[in-house]
Amino acid sequence: MTKPTIPPNAEPHLRPHRFDGIQEFDQRLPNWWLFTLYGAIIFWIGSWSYYQWFREGKDGPQQVQAALTQIEATKLAATAAARIDDAGLWAMSRNPVIVEQGRQVFEANCIPCHLSSLRGKSESPAAIGPDLTDRTWIHGGRPTDAYRTVTQGVPEKGMPTWGPILGARRISQAVAYVYSHHQEGEPIQAAPPP
Amino acid sequence: MSVAPPPRRDSVTTIGEDGSRRFLFPADSRGPLTRARRASALGLIALYAALPWIRVGGYPAVFLDVARRRFHLFGLTLAAQDLWLMFFLITGLGFSLFVVTALFGRIWCGWACPQTVFLDHVYRRFERWFEGDALARRRLADAPWGPEKAARALAKHGAYLLVSLGVAHVFLAYFVSLPELWAMMRTGPAAHPGAFLFVGLATGLAYFNFAWFREQLCIIICPYGRMQSVLTDEHTLVVGYDAARGEPRGPAGQPGVGDCLACERCVRVCPTGIDIRQGLQLECIGCTACIDACNEVMRRVGRPEGLVRYDSQAGFAGRGRRWWRPRLGMYGLLLALGAAAALWAAAGIHPLLLSATRMVGAPYYVDENFVRDQFLIRVVNKQDHPVRLQLSLSGLPPGAAARGCEAPLTVAPMGEEVRPLILEQARAAFRGSFAVRLRADDGRAVTEADRPLEFLGPLPARDGP
Repeated sequence: MTKPTIPPNAEPHLRPHRFDGIQEFDQRLPNWWLFTLYGAIIFWIGSWSYYQWFREGKDGPQQVQAALTQIEATKLAATAAARIDDAGLWAMSRNPVIVEQGRQVFEANCIPCHLSSLRGKSESPAAIGPDLTDRTWIHGGRPTDAYRTVTQGVPEKGMPTWGPILGARRISQAVAYVYSHHQEGEPIQAAPPP
Repeated sequence: MSVAPPPRRDSVTTIGEDGSRRFLFPADSRGPLTRARRASALGLIALYAALPWIRVGGYPAVFLDVARRRFHLFGLTLAAQDLWLMFFLITGLGFSLFVVTALFGRIWCGWACPQTVFLDHVYRRFERWFEGDALARRRLADAPWGPEKAARALAKHGAYLLVSLGVAHVFLAYFVSLPELWAMMRTGPAAHPGAFLFVGLATGLAYFNFAWFREQLCIIICPYGRMQSVLTDEHTLVVGYDAARGEPRGPAGQPGVGDCLACERCVRVCPTGIDIRQGLQLECIGCTACIDACNEVMRRVGRPEGLVRYDSQAGFAGRGRRWWRPRLGMYGLLLALGAAAALWAAAGIHPLLLSATRMVGAPYYVDENFVRDQFLIRVVNKQDHPVRLQLSLSGLPPGAAARGCEAPLTVAPMGEEVRPLILEQARAAFRGSFAVRLRADDGRAVTEADRPLEFLGPLPARDGP
């Protein structure tokens, strides 16, 4: 490569082309500026190899997938800790700490319809939600039935889908609070469809 | 180390023909402008160092708490949701700079830019103490390496590094606050690798910039100098040379020459390596060193000062100087518009966010007696103390009732609460959809929900044709 050489104190070279009477100098860029260009090229080689050749780095969609997997794992861990089965929920309903946590969840979310007495329509005919202290439940009386009803909701009756709002841990606490109003193993019948 | 040739307008003095860097050894300037500039620089450095210490409203005057996403500016606390205000802040600073540039040229560069403030008044002072004046520094640079040169270089670069460390630590204090910075400084680097890396990088950057890069930042990287040609006009105050008085140059006493002695003092003191007598140039940072240098020479030879001075290009050409120009009105109008919008926006910042959204599922529920709409109320408390809110609704027509906002709601500091709200209307009384306004009263102020709640239901059956 031939470098354009300019004798000291001479007029700098001009590029031959001309547009509208404007001409361009042909001066060398600062070396430090060129180093940033070469540095960027070297970085690009390393970065390209990392992602495209060795496939070590995760691309955008893979990173999103990894984050989603992490969120899913955290949710599952929370669910597993709560032991969502009939025996586990009954056991939680005997634990005063969990029942107190469940009471707070219930007070914050459920009392507009089920009332803070949990007695709903039995207490006041104007109430929206059914009684949760009786022994005949519309959507099944086992704790896992109640857990499912809260999580998925009953859209045609207006029971909201609480799963995405509250999450597994707080739903299991609220269910435990409801069952703390019953004797352990108390039979709760599914009501016949109206 | 190549020495810079006399400045030319066709090329950058500090870049050699082969692209190598040519280092400048600017001489010291003395005079009232240099003294005033030093005073303003020291004041600005003191302000920079003091802002994290001054407390306004329980927080440092400027505390950009990135970790908690709270930005404290002189008592005003902004949350991440308020960051759109930055648009007005940045455009406001931009238009202020436009106005100042149209009036006074690059006064920012010479008097207030951190690059000049730290370089001229801190780093170059250490250079002066350890390596002497411009002549001594040039001689030292050309001399072969020996114990004395090594000792001086070590002392100078050691001082540079110490100052850079200080600058970087103060910079970090703006983001983590002083107590936290102090706590982190007393633990090992492994305890706070991010902060350690940040300070390390900031120190390295400051050291590289102020020890080596220097005027290259102003000439080649900073976009402000490039805008000079469109922001200024012939009535803008700039540092310039009175060619009518100075030309032709020649030694004192020679007949037929102007006031310029061709002593080249103005070139020797220039920190960007230009000759101000070649006119207004992109490289000129308006530092006024050449004004002081020329005035000193003029005093010595008994000629009036001001051969190089602050004046407009029209003034140098012998025409009258005008302060008022249409561009000032344009820049000022844009600045006023932006400031008004910023004030309006800042007045609209609420310490609470209140909103209500329809619950997932059917838009409404109907039985024999009632129409029912279900909402989720969301409250975000952007303050550092808990709030106790009484929710209230207005606009409920007769026969309508609400459930879920009776009990007071306590929201933790920086907390968020979600509550169901159920609106019910007797079916017989339902006459079509209506809007309900939701408010939250914390005992001192009332916050209104961002949007009214729309009550929906089945269209009432028409009575007859």
